[in-house]
Amino acid sequence: MKKFILYTFLIAFLASTATAQKTFKLPAYQKFKLKNGLTVYLMEQHEVPLINVSVLIPAGAVSDGKQYGLATMTAKALMHGTRTLSKQALEEQVDFVGADVSTSSGLEFSRLTAIFATKDREKILNLARDILLTPSFNPEEFGKEQKNTLVNLEQNKQQPRSMIGQFFNVHYYGDHVYSNPPSGTVGSVSKLTVADAKAFYDKYYHPEFAAIAVVGDFKSSEMKALLTSLFSGWAKGAVKPVKADAEVRSSGSANVLLVNKEDAKETTFSIGGKGVPRSHPDYVSISVLNTILGGRFTSLLNDELRVNTGLTYGANSSFRASKYNGTFVISTFTASKTTSAAVDKALEVYRKFLNTGITEDVLQSGKSYVNGQFPPDYETSGDLANLLTDMFWFEFDEKFINNFQAGVSGLTLERAKQLINTHFPKNDLKFVLIGNAGEIRDLAKKYGTVKEVPIKQDVK
Amino acid sequence: MRIILSIAFLFMLTTASAQLSADDVKTFTLGNGMKILVLEDHSIPNANMYIFYRVGSRNEHPGITGLSHFFEHMMFNGAKKFGPKMFDQTMEKNGGANNAYTTNDLTVYTNWFPSSALETIFDLEADRISSLTIDPKMVESERGVVLSERSTGLENSPYRLLMQSVFATAFQESAYHWPVIGYEEDIKNWTKEDLEMYFKTYYAPNNAVMVISGDVSVGQVKQLAQKYLDPIPAQPTPRKVHLQEPPQTGERRFVVQKDIPTPVMAVGYHVPDAKHADYYALDLMQRILASGNSSRLNSVLVDQKQLLTFVRTSFGLSFDPSLLMIYGQLTQSADPKQLEDALFSELDRLAKEGVTPNELEKVKNQTMMEFYNEFSNINGKSNTIGTYEVYLGDYRKLYDAPKEYAKVTNEDVKRVASEYLKKSNRTVGYVQSKVD
Repeated sequence: MKKFILYTFLIAFLASTATAQKTFKLPAYQKFKLKNGLTVYLMEQHEVPLINVSVLIPAGAVSDGKQYGLATMTAKALMHGTRTLSKQALEEQVDFVGADVSTSSGLEFSRLTAIFATKDREKILNLARDILLTPSFNPEEFGKEQKNTLVNLEQNKQQPRSMIGQFFNVHYYGDHVYSNPPSGTVGSVSKLTVADAKAFYDKYYHPEFAAIAVVGDFKSSEMKALLTSLFSGWAKGAVKPVKADAEVRSSGSANVLLVNKEDAKETTFSIGGKGVPRSHPDYVSISVLNTILGGRFTSLLNDELRVNTGLTYGANSSFRASKYNGTFVISTFTASKTTSAAVDKALEVYRKFLNTGITEDVLQSGKSYVNGQFPPDYETSGDLANLLTDMFWFEFDEKFINNFQAGVSGLTLERAKQLINTHFPKNDLKFVLIGNAGEIRDLAKKYGTVKEVPIKQDVK
Repeated sequence: MRIILSIAFLFMLTTASAQLSADDVKTFTLGNGMKILVLEDHSIPNANMYIFYRVGSRNEHPGITGLSHFFEHMMFNGAKKFGPKMFDQTMEKNGGANNAYTTNDLTVYTNWFPSSALETIFDLEADRISSLTIDPKMVESERGVVLSERSTGLENSPYRLLMQSVFATAFQESAYHWPVIGYEEDIKNWTKEDLEMYFKTYYAPNNAVMVISGDVSVGQVKQLAQKYLDPIPAQPTPRKVHLQEPPQTGERRFVVQKDIPTPVMAVGYHVPDAKHADYYALDLMQRILASGNSSRLNSVLVDQKQLLTFVRTSFGLSFDPSLLMIYGQLTQSADPKQLEDALFSELDRLAKEGVTPNELEKVKNQTMMEFYNEFSNINGKSNTIGTYEVYLGDYRKLYDAPKEYAKVTNEDVKRVASEYLKKSNRTVGYVQSKVD
């Protein structure tokens, strides 16, 4: 039996070296700027007769001020009609050709994404231009959107997994703008007006810090001419994007945030601390190490909390990297009565990872896994369009893709030890526990000073 | 005339583009009855393997509800050659990842890997199909995992509760009555013998279809399938699921309590199985109702009357007659009576007046876009091809779908609307915080 296993490992090793030879490269693309400063990326992909568009506007929740949710409501309001079309007429035109055009906003930027058939490119790109350049900000439609958003925000408060990321951000980032909740809060969204959205739009929706990526079945020369004619009239603005590079200051003396959900049957929890910004030179290597700790099925965390003990359906860890800062977070959930066992187990696994590190075998496996799973992330035109706008925002280029697999393969055990030592937080860990406080209030104290809030209270 | 032309045009594109012709899929069947479908696609150095077993919660009975899904978990817990944990460890070490899902009808195993790992994947799959180990210790630990999965699904969304309540109410005799995850007490009580019986009955090569897409060659797949899978013996064909739901003869209703800000509601109508001639007309009808913001129910219930914050339909392929569901969340000001009046009068209008040529063309265009979208990556390819093969008996039906959709007329939509969307055929229910 043992011989069998050795033999398998040998095969595995041969296979992983073979994989490394077939490296994945980013398909060729063009990048240029229009006269008004709009950055354009074009990449031809002819597998299916579809085109994907991703437009990045450098204004997200970090630009909300105290009006949490404003960037998101502004992005949604763009779809409420244009200079020439009502919301209903716009939707009818998009739906008729089976296209999808949508807008959204996150922590640092807003996006318009579209997918449509090649034959509809002029029609949909014209609509996308109108949505971005001449939105009507219809007050009635804004009111409807606001009411539905408020129901959704209330609904999220019943769903620990919808809330825990936001509670963790507030707990970790304190008063830093990275703690701003992108979807807003009930208190803040209920006060927003269509005039607020219009003012936000006027301030931030301009071409010189924005980018558009078009990927799919088209001729680049023709697409360049079309985009130039559509977007050259977009007027420059006067404001630079918010630079969220302020220092993170702790949110207070409590390191445990206990969020009470009285009817909870399970405890959803996160443990974490300082991470790295997306542009960190060691980002790829750190991702490999995190994959080993909590980013795959056989990860140390999932193996112990799910496979060995059956405490949970899944446990993971991740580095959540923004442009100027980032967090590292371990997350899982368990039945209320096994809360203490699960939190202790998660900490035990993490401390062992920090103190004794990983073996050469595990490192090899992690590297092989990360390299093997890498190409499918950039398989579709939609994936590639988002990648190009991410490159724009986070300031990296195709070297990230083209050198990725070699970089992963080159990670040594010695370097891995240094990286674990440097980038995985050891001290000042922050805890967020969402559950029935009646059952877990006492055990929460084991992990430090506790601050308790009800889940129905706005996060910020 | 315009409709026909535009669909014909799209269909020409379909046949012209790479990998969008039925002839690109190569198939063969092993001596033990396992059918294998292969679609070569060398756009990335990766491939996937989907295995569809014809077993799901419809093959269960009270006492072992949820066993199909639990079994899906047990398939990762060790076999003869690759013991406990070895399946995942070996796969991940070779750059592969996996998952699996269970439905009322099927259990589907999915592997995604660099193409260099193809042989290892065959070795792993053959081992667990031929000689799974059911270790009592693993069974106990896995019960905890599945109870956690069940609890977290119910805790984090009202829709799990809503959907399982609609099925439980609309189906009284059919095996679609219980949820795929199973009853809590069944999860705690099934035995090792139940699992062994399940494995022997359903995990047979003749009860499975395998699909591989990606950076592989048909010759290579054939050779590996011969080596690893062909020696596994066939099993007797599993007993047919004989329970069929008798026609529903009157409206049914339910209310379930959960602490949520506004009620969520669903209406389910009995509709036929995937092979029924009405499938394509029903599919276009449900898109006319709720696909896109300009669809009828979105337009009336969400936009104009603001009774729902969103509305969706749920409809798909199934072995037995299933449900077409319409569901959504009520707005703060909505009254259920007002909502139902508005919803049902829209459905009546569809049955009486039919649809406009424009609406019909719109939803046909949408189906084509979905088809292309599915085919934009190797996952979508395997999943779609396998789904058609299993439910419709032939993957080629996928490539015929544009023609089938093109044939659907206004009269067809009117007819299926009046036949299926009637009061006596429906189940209406709410999940809400306040109950009497």
